[in-house]
Amino acid sequence: MKTFLYNISYFFKETGRIIRLNLLSNLFSVIGTGLILFLLGLVVTGTDIGNHLVNMLNEEAEINGYFSKHISESDKEELVAKIGKIYGVRSVRLVDKDEAKKRMEDILGEEASILELFKENPFEAFVEIRINVDEMDPILDNVKNLNGIEYVRDNREVLEKIKDITYAFKILGYLMIAAVGITTIIILSHMIRQGIYNNREQINTLRLLGSPGAFIGFPYVLSGIFLTLLGGILAALSLVFLIKTAYEGIGSTILFLPLPSKKDLIDKMILLLPSLSFILGLLGSWFGLTSIRKK
Amino acid sequence: MIISENVSLIYPDKTQALSNVNLEIKPGELVYITGPSGSGKTSFLKLLMGMEFPTSGSLSVFGHEINKSNYGNIQKLRRKIGPVFQEFKLIQGRTALENVMMGMRFLGIKPKQMKEQAHEALEKVGLGHKKYSKVENLSWGESQRVAIARAVARKPLLILADEPTGNLDYDNAINILKLLKSFREEDTTVIITTHATHLINNEKNAMFINVYKGRITAERKGMAV
Repeated sequence: MKTFLYNISYFFKETGRIIRLNLLSNLFSVIGTGLILFLLGLVVTGTDIGNHLVNMLNEEAEINGYFSKHISESDKEELVAKIGKIYGVRSVRLVDKDEAKKRMEDILGEEASILELFKENPFEAFVEIRINVDEMDPILDNVKNLNGIEYVRDNREVLEKIKDITYAFKILGYLMIAAVGITTIIILSHMIRQGIYNNREQINTLRLLGSPGAFIGFPYVLSGIFLTLLGGILAALSLVFLIKTAYEGIGSTILFLPLPSKKDLIDKMILLLPSLSFILGLLGSWFGLTSIRKK
Repeated sequence: MIISENVSLIYPDKTQALSNVNLEIKPGELVYITGPSGSGKTSFLKLLMGMEFPTSGSLSVFGHEINKSNYGNIQKLRRKIGPVFQEFKLIQGRTALENVMMGMRFLGIKPKQMKEQAHEALEKVGLGHKKYSKVENLSWGESQRVAIARAVARKPLLILADEPTGNLDYDNAINILKLLKSFREEDTTVIITTHATHLINNEKNAMFINVYKGRITAERKGMAV
């Protein structure tokens, strides 16, 4: 540790020298790493937006419970209160006959005149239950078993699809993280090996003089971290620019799309990409250095 | 203390470099290893530095059993040695001062002291005025002096100089030997290999070892063999 502290400036100078020795190649590595991390950032941002949309849809997920005939209004109120207490129910609301009819008229639009053929309102009151999709099955069982509920209509197929989409987004995100991680580590470890090869005579001399492996390897680790960190910062800046531009475009054209907060997305990228690049730089350098350690 | 007992070295291609070498070298001793090219002088130095391992026998260098040492122990031993390689092994693109300091960076010496020791060593070898010159711009003799400065600046227990007079004219060779001998006064063991016996004929206060085809053919203290 003492040796490392005494040689801090030497390590930074060496790092600069190692990078300058293969400047063009290192520059392309930074761009390559930056692009890969940018892709990862895109997937993470896409996953975030997707998750947000799915969550929004989840919040909209609902089932409808229809009452038994001849049930009194007070029983209906009581049932609504009971349903509201079931685990996984976000909100519950009684929709009376008139509102049910109004809703159908809205759906039918110009065709709503067909409803005038009925002498009486053909619709029945029902209970509208917004639920957490993950708890759908137990909620359905609970509501069906309530006295006074005759029939429950669920949008199982739609809700199952929503769940599948969420799952697919998550898997895609994990796969992308793994792919980016492995690729970056491979690129970087090859870069470090190249640097070691270019400096093999110096490394050999240091070994003969008794230098510990860690002393020889540290500037290479530093250069690996520096280059990937640079790539990470490049990727983060590009992504911030892209998010800002995209939000301006989408915000003015697709107003109804419920996007997550721009600030949250940007903050996440600014924190995630440089941190990840730092870790990948450390790992890549570590793997690259195995060629020193094995000898 | 260096103790070699029945040390033999056979290279992977079956070349017998050393055969049954028995030696004892005390701290602070000046040792000349002589013999023709290919006799095994450099191989013996390589054993002392842990660059090669004895095929049989045992070799102890300042308490480090070469046969039993792992990489970490060998590196510890090397930190006690100041080697002057035949081909110098200076790091190109660096100044003389940087090269000398490079040999000390991992010895736990404070930066200021490290710089002082490097300056002092370069002054000692007569290169104080060229400390900021890149080593690739130095002459053969100057490069060799930088290599010597790098070896001695570390204040080692043992200086190993492999054919330091190899490519030098008589006057320069004598000067280099004088320089190397001077470090012995600082209680450092100095081992020098050379095939130029005429340069050391008048040496009285040293140990002479003659090697021929991997065997010690003569060992004597005092005058050259």
